[in-house]
Amino acid sequence: MTTTLFDNSRVSELRLQQAALPWRRRTANFRVAVAIAVIVPPVIVGLLWFLTSIPKPILMLVIYLPLQLIASAIAAWSQRGTKAVLDSAIIVCAIGATIFSFVILISVLWSIVSNGVHALSWAFLFQNNVYISPSTPLGYGGVGNAILGTIMVVVIASLFAVPLGIATAVYITEVRGKAVPYVRFFVQAMSGVPSVVAGLFILTVFILTGVLQSSGFAAGLAYAILMLPTVARTAEEVLKLIPDDLRTGALALGSTRARVVMKVVLPAAKTGLITAAILGIARVVGETAPLLLTALSNDQTVLNPFNQPITALPAYIFSNVAQPYPDAVTRAWGAALVLVILVAILFTITRVLTAKRVRR
Amino acid sequence: MVQTAPPEVRDLSSSVSSHKGDRVFNRVITGAAFTALIVLAGITVFLGAQTVPVLHSQGLSFLTTTVWNPTATPAQYGILGMLYGSLLLAVIALVIAVPASLLLSVFMVFMAPKKVATVMTNVVDLMAAIPSVILGLWAFYVLNPAAVEWQKLLNQYLGWFPLFKNDSGNFLGTPFIAGFVLAVMMIPIVTSVTREVLGRTPPELINASEALGCSMWTMLRYVAIPFGRGGIVGGIMLGLGRALGETIAVFFVLKLVFNINFFHIIQSGGGSVATLIVSQFGESSGNPETQALLAAGFFLFAGTLLVNILANLIVRRTGRIQS
Repeated sequence: MTTTLFDNSRVSELRLQQAALPWRRRTANFRVAVAIAVIVPPVIVGLLWFLTSIPKPILMLVIYLPLQLIASAIAAWSQRGTKAVLDSAIIVCAIGATIFSFVILISVLWSIVSNGVHALSWAFLFQNNVYISPSTPLGYGGVGNAILGTIMVVVIASLFAVPLGIATAVYITEVRGKAVPYVRFFVQAMSGVPSVVAGLFILTVFILTGVLQSSGFAAGLAYAILMLPTVARTAEEVLKLIPDDLRTGALALGSTRARVVMKVVLPAAKTGLITAAILGIARVVGETAPLLLTALSNDQTVLNPFNQPITALPAYIFSNVAQPYPDAVTRAWGAALVLVILVAILFTITRVLTAKRVRR
Repeated sequence: MVQTAPPEVRDLSSSVSSHKGDRVFNRVITGAAFTALIVLAGITVFLGAQTVPVLHSQGLSFLTTTVWNPTATPAQYGILGMLYGSLLLAVIALVIAVPASLLLSVFMVFMAPKKVATVMTNVVDLMAAIPSVILGLWAFYVLNPAAVEWQKLLNQYLGWFPLFKNDSGNFLGTPFIAGFVLAVMMIPIVTSVTREVLGRTPPELINASEALGCSMWTMLRYVAIPFGRGGIVGGIMLGLGRALGETIAVFFVLKLVFNINFFHIIQSGGGSVATLIVSQFGESSGNPETQALLAAGFFLFAGTLLVNILANLIVRRTGRIQS
């Protein structure tokens, strides 16, 4: 995707204009009307919430939302006339949608933390699942083997996806061959491959034909398919940011194009390329369907990625959800917490790296 | 005096270098760049090859019937219910996710103060990074009880409307819940695209429209949305592609039935091609059924590829018009 670049002088110029926007000035009356429209409906609904037994979803959706829309419409109409009514409606709806999305996100994160924290212990983090059944009490068995499995599968996937993804980006930005539009197109198309299809592909090509067993390596290949487009697209964006002066400068000093790429462009883009790799890892680390098709599961700690089934974190969660034993479910939440922490760490690293690059 | 040889004369043109190392480098990189094509072609060929025997034995009934009976003689496989179910779930997800993500991105771009918007961008990205298996876990234990209550209320007050009919009294495993989970997955994906697209509206146009007395609604309707229409549609289709291919989150909350549940969205039972593959794979009774699942995977691949290609063409075309 192309981004429009503003030069800084123009931005500050626009900001100066912003300060003088006369149509954005708010009068005191306007503020009062808005305050009333913001306070009255919640108070009414709050009273209904505690004093009546109207079901809460109905209260929020059928009473509060229309009430808030009407109150805002009246406030807008009294200050600015009919034209502002739709305006107020869209503001209310936008804030409503924002709250809706955030309530869901917080619900997801809170449920993971509050349920998962009960499972956490050293045993849970480091033990494997041999001799553990769903009914075994907490304190025995854990995700040690699954964490190891996840690391193994992700590393194998990275070994394929990172070099190939960066090479694809180098082709687009450095080699600039005739096929650039097509390569871009195929990378985009590949990013839409469902994870279950990636698993099926590896299953048909390698496992059903007997070339590979269900193993960490097979799962790594399936992950690599999902990872490659993310790495390639991010790396492309990163390489585009390297100024052409560096390339022409190196060429003018007499280096070959291969050397320009290997010694100048790629080192200059190092942080960005690491970000690309991490984003790719974050994209695949929670994928479950390929694991179920290509790696199956294994209660033991597996160190050899070639010869036997292996469990990774998503597969561990999958097998413990919907078990009739509360301890198994708590284990699933615990594994989810571990996985989310893993994703959050990866995510934070990319943010820190990107922030550094922008600041410089 | 030592005579130094003059430096080797090289072609410094930017297109093709005559240097041998460069040629090797170019070839290696070009080869690697075609991995994406090779993988896509590989999926088409290998899964397509698995489809042939299935279509041979089942005929078109593979796509037009709703019976899945691997133990019958001859075995019967029909995925129409699953294909329809995938579409129904996608429609439900779109109905919830499209307004929500559009409004969310409007809030982030045009209403929120800059710092709040930055924080929200990060939060939405984090939401996109939550693995689907965890969303499935959340949906099974947290969303399910709440959604059952919502559906009961819907049924109680709007049950006369065919869409909200439920005869069985079982409100678990409904297309509505599965569609809702897909919507939760789609919102961050769609929002990140629409936010970028709306954010690219030239500030001159926005200021000019405000100076002419446009309200927020008028500005959105006549400036921002027409400006980013293609990008918005493309973003929605990217999310749609993801929703069609989603397997695990749906697996936990949808009761898979092979009969078509046409539009009773709060009645237990529905279909999804991706979920079918995972749910039947574990107990697939040997080669023929696995083959039928692979064939189903091929049609899933074809469908998502089509949606994704369309989405990218739309996004790219509007990108060209804008720049």
